[in-house]
Amino acid sequence: MSRNTVQPNGWVAIRLPSEVTRVLQVVPNTTISLGKYGSFPSNLIIERPYHLTYEIQDKREGESFPRLRVVPGTELNADKLADVSATESAEGDDVIEPANGEELTLVDESGKVVARSNREVIDESARQTLTMAEIDQLKREGASAGKELIAKLMLSHTAIDQKTAYSLAKYKLLKERKYMRRFTVLPLDVAQLGQWMLVERDASKVMEMRQEMIGLLGCWADVHFGGLPIEGAQSPHGGRWLAVDDTGGLLVAAMAERMGLLHAETPEEEGASTDAAQQEQNPELQPNEEAGTAVTEPAKAQRNRPKRPRKDDLDDHYALTNSITLIHANSQPNLSLLRHFDYDFSDPNPPYPYHPLFTNLLPISWLQLLDPEADPTYAEPAPEVDSETLASWKTNRRANYHRKRRRWARTRQIVDATRAGGFSGLAVASTMDPISVLRHALPLLAGGAPVAIYSPTIEPLTQLADCFSISRRGAWVSNPPAEAEGKTTTELENWAGTPDFPINPSLLIGAQVQTSRARRWQVLPGRTHPFMTERGGAVGFVFTGWRAIPAEGNIMARGKFQRKKPKTG
Amino acid sequence: MTKPSTFLVLGDKTSAGTLAIISLSRDNFLPLTLEKSTGAVDGYLEGATLNTRFGSYPHSTLLDVPWGSQVRASNVDTGSRGKKRRRDATDEDTLIASQDDDDDSTAANAPVKKAVTAPSGFIYVLRPTPELWTTSLPHRTQVVYTPDYSYILHRIRARPGTRIIEAGAGSGSFTHASVRAVYNGYPRDADDVKGKVFSFEFNESRYEKMQVEIGHHGLDDLVKLTHRDVYNDGFNVNGESPNATAVFLDLPAPWEALHHLSRRKLQKGGEEAEEDSNWVSPLDPKQSVHICTFSPCIEQVTRTVTELRTLGWVDVDMVEISNQKINISREKVGVNYPTEKGYNSSPADVLEAVTKLKSLAERNKDTQRVQALQTGAEGPDSEMDLDSTPNRENQPSNSNGAVDDMEKPWMQGRLVHRPESELKTHTSYLVFAILPCEWDEEAEAAAMAKWPCGNEKKTIGNLDKQARKEEKRKMLEGKSKKQKKGSDTQTTQVVVSAVATPTTDTA
Repeated sequence: MSRNTVQPNGWVAIRLPSEVTRVLQVVPNTTISLGKYGSFPSNLIIERPYHLTYEIQDKREGESFPRLRVVPGTELNADKLADVSATESAEGDDVIEPANGEELTLVDESGKVVARSNREVIDESARQTLTMAEIDQLKREGASAGKELIAKLMLSHTAIDQKTAYSLAKYKLLKERKYMRRFTVLPLDVAQLGQWMLVERDASKVMEMRQEMIGLLGCWADVHFGGLPIEGAQSPHGGRWLAVDDTGGLLVAAMAERMGLLHAETPEEEGASTDAAQQEQNPELQPNEEAGTAVTEPAKAQRNRPKRPRKDDLDDHYALTNSITLIHANSQPNLSLLRHFDYDFSDPNPPYPYHPLFTNLLPISWLQLLDPEADPTYAEPAPEVDSETLASWKTNRRANYHRKRRRWARTRQIVDATRAGGFSGLAVASTMDPISVLRHALPLLAGGAPVAIYSPTIEPLTQLADCFSISRRGAWVSNPPAEAEGKTTTELENWAGTPDFPINPSLLIGAQVQTSRARRWQVLPGRTHPFMTERGGAVGFVFTGWRAIPAEGNIMARGKFQRKKPKTG
Repeated sequence: MTKPSTFLVLGDKTSAGTLAIISLSRDNFLPLTLEKSTGAVDGYLEGATLNTRFGSYPHSTLLDVPWGSQVRASNVDTGSRGKKRRRDATDEDTLIASQDDDDDSTAANAPVKKAVTAPSGFIYVLRPTPELWTTSLPHRTQVVYTPDYSYILHRIRARPGTRIIEAGAGSGSFTHASVRAVYNGYPRDADDVKGKVFSFEFNESRYEKMQVEIGHHGLDDLVKLTHRDVYNDGFNVNGESPNATAVFLDLPAPWEALHHLSRRKLQKGGEEAEEDSNWVSPLDPKQSVHICTFSPCIEQVTRTVTELRTLGWVDVDMVEISNQKINISREKVGVNYPTEKGYNSSPADVLEAVTKLKSLAERNKDTQRVQALQTGAEGPDSEMDLDSTPNRENQPSNSNGAVDDMEKPWMQGRLVHRPESELKTHTSYLVFAILPCEWDEEAEAAAMAKWPCGNEKKTIGNLDKQARKEEKRKMLEGKSKKQKKGSDTQTTQVVVSAVATPTTDTA
């Protein structure tokens, strides 16, 4: 289960009044700056619960830092609730009738006034009697978290009495977004990270994968906790999923979250959780050169750190169940987003205790999968040196020797287990052609295993679905291609693909393509409607189906069906 | 312990007594509990048999095969045992009848007749998943379909180990999906706390049917179903708190139940109720709670949202999911296609149209010439001319090569996609909200003592210009030192956030 409080050195998302989210690592003993909304010491949110909204207060006499006040939910909602009682009176407020001496009204043919010009509302600065300098002055004083400033702004708006209740509420909201010194601390989980990447960071890096798509993909691929390892079992068993991920690790993270692998289990501290113990919970945080992130861990955490259990280099490293096997196109998978979950893939030797993904995420390249002998890591045997020679070596060389052996053993374990197949499901979010992915991944799936493939655009998926069209499937059975003659079922499973039959169409049933979209609504009394604008870009599509095991030999369908007679002319 | 559910614990093969989903044809799924029969059942010598319009399938042919297997139909004598088997109503009668058979005839103890494969017909046996169950379950109420529940479970953070409250169990679609989401193993004993679904149903007959279903699916230890009016009686089970962190309400009036889902005892409308030492909150006191309510009407949403806001829930958000299934087909347009269903023999492009018009014009000319000849000089010659009119079949094939592919109808035409003809345009509105845990002065003081403030060394996040300059200066200093020392200790001094300072962020 995920942690329920902000962890020192943990990642969080901070939402500002402007709805902008900042993702950052809460390093103890630093100042977190939120730009114009102010700054505060990071220690003030550490080990506090998530989803709280804070107000940055004015510095107290003799203190060098501002304190925070938790804004209760009822106070946050007060404005929206106040409208409820105001609704009645607001309805009486005439928007349509012209004000005295109004020079601009929209009049219909009969001379009836349809709407009042809202020119004065547009021209806000002219109506605001506070000058920029005065506003700046008030901002600097920052009295009572910006509330005073907003009150003054409202008071000195000359046309405030001309506003309807609704436009007044809108005006206040606008000013609050700009000046309120508030922020909300949110846990950085897959939903939050995905949304942030999609809306604020760089949608193309996650293939514009929306929340709806992450949900659909996980459900249709039936990704869930795959069971505890069975005592004494030597071979892979239980739930093992296959993934192809070009979203920088977002798909893997989503799958891991569904399998209970994403959030490192916090060892339950008994009542007496001391400082030292608390700080020791975060040693899995690695100095991340890539991001230039530093871990300023107190020196005392270095001692009495739990020792890593010693194992032989060639021992099985990876979990046999509840695992994700990730097939990647480069020599190393791109899993950069996983660092937000305290997992650094590039570190082959993380400190103990391990992140669950260290043993349950099995990376394999397409080369290792399809032609392992061509892969140097797999093909070259592990170096063997007798212990005497080893003892004579320098530490550096010895470590190198062990590292190589471990890498070889791990690669062996992954490649052999993956090629043996029997996976429980497949989830794909890849820029590669899905036909080629499925051609090689389908044979690895156990019978009945679900397949779910995401694509930001529909074209690759229509081509894929067409490979399993009814007429093609029919033709495969009734009129098999010459290449398929006399082949065994196993050989047909690894069908190389021809222009007519890019994939063996009998290996998948229930091919379907769907799309889903969440439309957000504004819910306010008397003003409920869908949001006026939303993110455009890719809609996103999901292809689903199940791995089938075709019966051997010729098979005929029963029931009413039209026989299509190919006619020429 | 009961047999683990095939929904959750993944085996390779079908086995007796477990649920399988039979795929009859596209979008036609049938849930079936596989039985191992030792004698004739229902008059079928082969034992329990599934009869479909795609053939008959004795369970013996469906048992102990890998999931996903294509199974051939069998030749089953359905005639001699009387009329077509009627469902439900006659279920009991036939059952008794077959038991009688077992008792008084020797045939019962005789080996079951081995199924004989029929020449045609097949089905697939699929491992049950919540998605398949949702499409095939017996409808008792409106069903929460996959597009909705996949999004809801993602948003309310239902993960392995979560304890989730579901009110309005209905047909059980959401129950199955949520039990998969929260499953992290079966509890070993009563004290073992695992992910669990606390489901509430007001309608007694639905409750009973649901209870049976849960038992059949091996979910007894993971789903606690209660027959309850949650508006009045809340969400605690036997006086104990479910300790929930996620809530899903599919009720006609969710606002009537919301006051039970609070941190301290409240009345409707947020008024604090009188102290009651026996009262426990159904929510986990240490974690934020995510809620989703599912209502078809906007009026329900308005009332729910108002109540949520009154009770102090935050991040109230309402969305509507629209899902489209997409049909993918090949559109076959061209003059060379046959005039059959599925083909459109009008011209595929301008060139084809022109060619067709030209040949038509030519033919017309020929006919006119022939007619002129016939009227002018009647004789046997004219027949020769008739023969020489261009034959349609000798026409050059058109440019898109349709003729070449005539033998392969699956390669013809252009690949197109369109939404299915019947769209579900509205299911329900989803209201999401979060209730943070309580945080009092005392807890704050303790945290403050543990994490004292005032010795901040660096600034992270959104830096102003001055701070950025300062940092840059320090970094450069560090670099020059590093070059001198040849150590990299100084680089760790730079703390960068992922967003705020894009200039230094290399992620």
